[in-house]
Amino acid sequence: MSLKDLLSPFFVWQRAFEKPYTTIRPTLDRPGAPAYRGFHINIAETCVGCGSCHEICQNQAIDMVAVDEFVGRDGDSGLRPRFDYGRCCWCGLCVDICTAASLRMSNEYSWIADNPNEFHFTAGVDETPWQDNELGYRRAEGYHLYPPKRIEMELLPAEESVKSFDEVTLGYDIEQAKKEADRCVECGICVATCPAHMDVPDYIHSIRDGDYEKGLKLMYRTNPFPGTCGRICTRKCESVCPVGILGEPVAIRWLKRFIVDQVDKKDYKRILDEQIENSDFKVAIIGAGPGGLSAAYYLRQQGHAVTVFEEHESGGGMLRYGVPSYRLPDAELDKDIDHIISIGVDVKYNTRIGKDIQFETLLEDYDAVFMSTGLSVPSSMRIHGEDHARVLSGLQVLADVASGRDPGIGKKVAVIGGGNVAMDAARVSRRFGADVTILYRRRISEMPADEEEIHESQEEGCTLIQKAIPVEILDADSPEQVAIKWGEAEMVDDPKGGRPRPVLREDRMHTETYDCIISAIGQSSNLDYLSKELQEQMAVEWGKFTPVEYQHTTLDKVFVGGDFANRTADAISAIEDGHHAARGINRFLNPDLYINAEQQHDI
Amino acid sequence: MNTVDEILDYAIDQEQQAADFYEDVAQRAETAGMKKILLDFSEEEKRHKKILQTVKTGEHELTPEQEILDLKISDYLVEVEVSDNISYQDALIVAMKRERAAYELYSDMAAKIPESHLKEVLTGLAKEEAKHKLFFEAEYDEHVLTDN
Repeated sequence: MSLKDLLSPFFVWQRAFEKPYTTIRPTLDRPGAPAYRGFHINIAETCVGCGSCHEICQNQAIDMVAVDEFVGRDGDSGLRPRFDYGRCCWCGLCVDICTAASLRMSNEYSWIADNPNEFHFTAGVDETPWQDNELGYRRAEGYHLYPPKRIEMELLPAEESVKSFDEVTLGYDIEQAKKEADRCVECGICVATCPAHMDVPDYIHSIRDGDYEKGLKLMYRTNPFPGTCGRICTRKCESVCPVGILGEPVAIRWLKRFIVDQVDKKDYKRILDEQIENSDFKVAIIGAGPGGLSAAYYLRQQGHAVTVFEEHESGGGMLRYGVPSYRLPDAELDKDIDHIISIGVDVKYNTRIGKDIQFETLLEDYDAVFMSTGLSVPSSMRIHGEDHARVLSGLQVLADVASGRDPGIGKKVAVIGGGNVAMDAARVSRRFGADVTILYRRRISEMPADEEEIHESQEEGCTLIQKAIPVEILDADSPEQVAIKWGEAEMVDDPKGGRPRPVLREDRMHTETYDCIISAIGQSSNLDYLSKELQEQMAVEWGKFTPVEYQHTTLDKVFVGGDFANRTADAISAIEDGHHAARGINRFLNPDLYINAEQQHDI
Repeated sequence: MNTVDEILDYAIDQEQQAADFYEDVAQRAETAGMKKILLDFSEEEKRHKKILQTVKTGEHELTPEQEILDLKISDYLVEVEVSDNISYQDALIVAMKRERAAYELYSDMAAKIPESHLKEVLTGLAKEEAKHKLFFEAEYDEHVLTDN
């Protein structure tokens, strides 16, 4: 060993007092550019967990993970994006696609931690120092990776539509449907919100693939009325569609209709190909509305002999006698109903339970009974003069028109109410050439009717007076006419909270004469076919049932569903009630089949 | 009825009579649901009675100056019959009308006498009844006038 080698460790020490060539960590004072694509920020409150960021990420750097505080929120998957910075390449596509614009990037790029697992974090949920960073990459305003506007549904011009009962909506063509289907981000949030839990993303996907038969099959798994719902569904699905946060929601209802329109009725049997093995059980169903026929369809698939008792001469219930044909043509309703009947459902028309056959007889003769007779009795306003001969009920007017009878409304009509029945009665009256005024006691924004119906009724020339409270019905000079006294309302905040309440202004009263007044303020059920004792046993309150699990009542054999057994009182909820009850009845009839939990989902 | 105590005794008795009335109708009601609602109404009246009893003993004060919202719903509705199968709508109408009648009775009495403690008590009682009327009218507005 040379002397130099021996002394060299001591020379190193002289370096200890020199300025270092390396920089001290962390790097100081080099902030990212204002629009730098740095660490992710998520506003977890506005994020709905649609998973578009996860889908678009080319590096699989984003997982969707459940976050307790968001689980169970309506219109929210309960999931939030979790980033893996071992994989992220900072391309920013996740920010560009974010439907809620909740995801962005900070201009922060320096992060030092001892534990590598920290670089795997749920943005906006796990605490990070850059969450409130004002700078960093944001999606440019107005920039969307998918078109924010839906493909508009072509409508008959209002001046044409009021002249006939022809269907107002004309449907999508193939190109329009594919374009609209392309706007779906396939998050599936709508599936949870749809009362029937229809497999929306997959049937929309079938439109992209041009495979309408597959789409039809998917729809029939949970809904045997796709043609009907494709036209008149209350479409709760669209209200939670995340594409609707920054733009217009995907037109799920019109896409459903498109699939049905593409498939010929004669091909249903071949496509749906229900394989039925007959059982030894007999089930009676009261009411051939959407609830009753939905139950019939799924019960028949389980092999049970199903007999539906219907008091009218045709099936469909409110869909036929309450929804005018310009919204739901009879042929389209029949396309759905005919297929249900075609798998071996027996419908006894013109048969009223309680009159032609006693309910107790059904209980004796059948293994189970499903009741779905809806809300068929118009509510009373309980104001003076209401029993005037020229005061008609909205339901009666609609039923008359559906049955081809002249509703006898005259040429100047006032409609009272703000729901769909009121809108339908008003638009039907316009088609009979009447001048129509709708009186609604609250504000237009609070009307329970479908927004499109409100809009179209106005387009078709109905005059809508909001904050108008009917006070009294009076005789007119002619017995063919009737007068109504109504007062303007002032909306006053309720001291106990809740929505503002209309208060009559007695100094602002109006009296006007009409050929008729159509009252459409609500409906209740008619349970004449059930004895008081049976109603008592089934704990009927205000004509409504509160079924327990699987739509079961407290009576052993009896299940219920539809408007008189749910809060929403719309077709899709009745359809789901029927499906749910079919599962319940099947369990009730075959308790042994359900010992194995896996078999619980086999309908 | 010239003294405050007499007036309060009368009002307490009226609340008890109302409670008895609903209990009586409840006994005759055909369904369990209706029975329950009517018994709830009866309980509500007993609650009113208790409040007035505490007013009499001085533990609670009436609030004659308080402004109570008047929805004016019952003013224009027809009288309904109290039958054994009375509906919820009609039961609410009966209740609203009874509260309205009580409100008017105390208001009229208060209007007829000069400024005094008695007048204040009568006005306070009228306001109490207006509160009860609002309770039933708000229920009617929310659950009967659904317009759908």
